[in-house]
Amino acid sequence: MSDELRLAWAIARKDALCELRGRQAAGSTLFFAALVLLLFGFALGPDTRRLAEAAPGLLWLAVVFGGLLTVARLHQLEAEDGALDELARYPVERRTIYLGKALAGGMAVIVLGAVLLPVVGVLYGIDLAPAALPLALTVLLGGIGFAAVGTFYAAVTVRMRAREVMLPLLMLPVIAPLLLGAVEATAAALSGDPFGELGAWLQLLAGFDVVMLLAGAAGYGYLLEE
Amino acid sequence: MAPDASYEAGFTSRVWRRRTGQRLHLTPIGAGRTLSLTHAVSPSASSMPQTTIYSAPRTGQHPPPPAVATDQLARLFGRSAALAGVSLRVEPGRVVALLGPNGAGKTTLLRILATSLHPSFGVAAIHGLDVAHHAHAVRQMVAYLPHATGLYDDLTAAENLAFAATLRRLPDAEDRARRALAAVGLTHEADRRVRGFSAGMRRRLALARLLLADAPVLLLDEPHAALDAEGMALVDRLLAGWREEGRTVLVASHQAQRITPLAHGWARLDGGLLVEVGGEGVTGEARSAGRLPEPVGAVVER
Repeated sequence: MSDELRLAWAIARKDALCELRGRQAAGSTLFFAALVLLLFGFALGPDTRRLAEAAPGLLWLAVVFGGLLTVARLHQLEAEDGALDELARYPVERRTIYLGKALAGGMAVIVLGAVLLPVVGVLYGIDLAPAALPLALTVLLGGIGFAAVGTFYAAVTVRMRAREVMLPLLMLPVIAPLLLGAVEATAAALSGDPFGELGAWLQLLAGFDVVMLLAGAAGYGYLLEE
Repeated sequence: MAPDASYEAGFTSRVWRRRTGQRLHLTPIGAGRTLSLTHAVSPSASSMPQTTIYSAPRTGQHPPPPAVATDQLARLFGRSAALAGVSLRVEPGRVVALLGPNGAGKTTLLRILATSLHPSFGVAAIHGLDVAHHAHAVRQMVAYLPHATGLYDDLTAAENLAFAATLRRLPDAEDRARRALAAVGLTHEADRRVRGFSAGMRRRLALARLLLADAPVLLLDEPHAALDAEGMALVDRLLAGWREEGRTVLVASHQAQRITPLAHGWARLDGGLLVEVGGEGVTGEARSAGRLPEPVGAVVER
């Protein structure tokens, strides 16, 4: 198992290096997601109470938009010049490749969420400090779940011509429970959890992560076959 | 060897296993159907005197398996047969040139042997291991140089090789990477990102990755492509070195005059069929172009 984790880490590290050095660097995705938050702010108007109420949903929509770009790009770099075929020819278990790609995707989405949180705080006038720990936990669990699903569907669509359209079409219905759980957990955290529901939403997210990671690891190998 | 009397029609893998104690992997040819041994063993198997893919001698003396063996190997893309029943056998330690025009099926054959493609019919084996059912073990024995280099543009040359060494679980990944780079003349480019490399440099780096793998079976698809005269000479030297070391090499090339002097033997494909075999260390069942073996023909013509 430790050997598999070492190899998965090597794949994740390679993806992270390519992402950081790539021409379409992570910065543009962060900027895009922050811009989405700004535009939502304009669309909803200057009413700070209304913005604060909508903030959890807007935050996670921005994470979803930015995350879609991220997971698609992590597989797109494999599609260039036959790298995915080469990766599949190494004597490495398919679940290890999936785990490595999901790890890289998860790290990227978690960083995206962590950067967008203070942006939400500034743009919508919300004090995040009292809820920092539950918010961090929500972003962590949400990022893992998003990457678990996104890595699988990015592999499904990577060889398609219309992959930019097909990825969200296939993926968004599957992440609906994740989006619901993440938005509700964020709302509960920001409101001080008056009804004690935060733990239940975090459990939902954790359960979603486990199920999707297991399903993705089991099915990923079939996506690499020709 | 002609099919043994016990190789009756309609054997299933379960019956085979009960009688011989060995597991027989059969390739599915349709929903709910299994390729029976009468299909799998060619009627003209006598022309392949040592076909061992299916034989399970009861004497306990196993002949060494061929380094590369295919039996009635076919790959369909839709109704088009890229490979239409190729039976080929390459002995260990032999360098064999795979010749033929564009669309002959050379790349498809190499991709199946490298576990990148599943066969539609028939069997392919590396050192006796079926590539479809023992893909993980086969990947440890095979290194493949494809058309596409499969390199990461945003990693340096050394990082690309170190990544390959890590995934192959080779010790001293970075040292190996440096040595492989030196062997292909890219030492001074080790810390440069691949994005700025020319096509020839990318090809050399892919060759370095092949060297790094240190695999007993090497599959090369047009290794001279995109290389200048110096690069082509490098490939020739590498082939000569592998020949001396006793590695098994299957090299597909359009440059018959360049490759055949470096090879022990050669096999020529045309239209997905093996049409000619010659030289040492390679045997096969040559067919006339245009005649498809029955299981493949049935599907293509349906």
